[in-house]
Amino acid sequence: MAETDASRVVYFDHAATSWPKPDVVLDAMQRAMHDAGGNPGRGAHRLAVAASRTILEARGAVAGLLGVAEPRNIVFTAGCTEGLNVAIKGLIRRGDRVVVSSMEHNAVARPLNMLAAAGVIVDVVRADEYGNVDADAVELAVAERETRAVICQHASNVTGSIQPVGDLADIAHDAGAVLIVDGAQATGHLRVDVGALGADVYASSGHKGLLGPQGVGILYLSSDIDPDELVQGGSGGNSEEPMQPRLRPDRYEAGTSNTPGIAGLGAAARYLAVHGDELRVLEGELTSRMHEGLLGIEGLRVLGPLPGEERVPVISVVHERIDGDRIAFELDRRYGIAVRAGLHCAPWAHNTVGTLDSGALRFGIGYGLTSADVDYALDAMREICA
Amino acid sequence: MNSDVERPYVVFGFETTHDALTAEAALAATGLALTVMPSPKVLGALCGIALRVAEDDAPLVERILAEAGVGWSGSVRILDR
Repeated sequence: MAETDASRVVYFDHAATSWPKPDVVLDAMQRAMHDAGGNPGRGAHRLAVAASRTILEARGAVAGLLGVAEPRNIVFTAGCTEGLNVAIKGLIRRGDRVVVSSMEHNAVARPLNMLAAAGVIVDVVRADEYGNVDADAVELAVAERETRAVICQHASNVTGSIQPVGDLADIAHDAGAVLIVDGAQATGHLRVDVGALGADVYASSGHKGLLGPQGVGILYLSSDIDPDELVQGGSGGNSEEPMQPRLRPDRYEAGTSNTPGIAGLGAAARYLAVHGDELRVLEGELTSRMHEGLLGIEGLRVLGPLPGEERVPVISVVHERIDGDRIAFELDRRYGIAVRAGLHCAPWAHNTVGTLDSGALRFGIGYGLTSADVDYALDAMREICA
Repeated sequence: MNSDVERPYVVFGFETTHDALTAEAALAATGLALTVMPSPKVLGALCGIALRVAEDDAPLVERILAEAGVGWSGSVRILDR
């Protein structure tokens, strides 16, 4: 091992949250706090208007990055989980039927489990052992009976599999259903064009591949759907109306917005609009390097797509003898390498790929990492697994 | 200029802050002079922000906003300093 410097942090937990962030993100957040500290949408004094402009510009930047023609159809949320809850609980009623993939995160599974207990029919389509959702299997399931919604992730936080959400949009629409997509692991890591995908709902977190801060997420709602809002309250305008205004984006953003967080996300979106392609090329190279390296370590099973197949920069492994939590502990303690072990809030996905009992050790690759970092992590894995 | 002299303006109101600031951006891009102000009661909503422009510019403003696809909820002529 060339280097075992535990004072450094080599961050391989980008699938949980990206770190570090581009400096422009931190700068934008500080500017928002310093120069635009009013309450957005509340009042017309200069600090309130500055805050409102900050959010308007961020909304435009995010819409532009994701190919959304109408920025008001982008709602800022506290995170992907909130966005998915708005869509699921705002669109699906007792007696409705949902077809959902078996690879979903608890951000989808738990709301659906709650709705199932309240009379919603939830049919799960099992993905294959690599974590790939088969569009034909979803089509067959949808054809069985009337379906209100198809729900699928864009990419897996366990296996890195990329799901055929464009095909699923066609399948859902042909059946009169809506498609709800969890894009938490896709945005930033993939070039996502929400308009081209055809999804009715696309939710994502702001703090993962989008490189924004924690505490902010995005929810795209197509103009063709009208989910109920989860939260009612002050919207800045129309205060005389007793009910929540139906106008977007106000309808879904009751209460004071997270202006610094949104400012940071807006800056991140502008950064990715310029640098996203080069970052994705690098992530692809690093992911392939990591994948090949892990495959060469005896005793490791690498989950997800095979080398050469498309994936997002997420690679999970299981060792035949050593528990993932033990490896994660050693990586952190001895090498300063941050990874995540366990079930990754995705028991459905782990059950699908046969790791519900063992969990897995996940490497999430992203902004700031280099090929030297990958080699360092591989050397550490070889030592721990020897 | 005597700032106490009242001049005629037209104030445009909007249904959301998003609309108001989208309109502001569209108008500012043309170089047109405007002022952001609290939405006046006469426009029906007691909150929100509005855009004030010189009365002579109001027809141009309407054209610019229509071309930009930005709707406004109403407008009112006022005298202001």
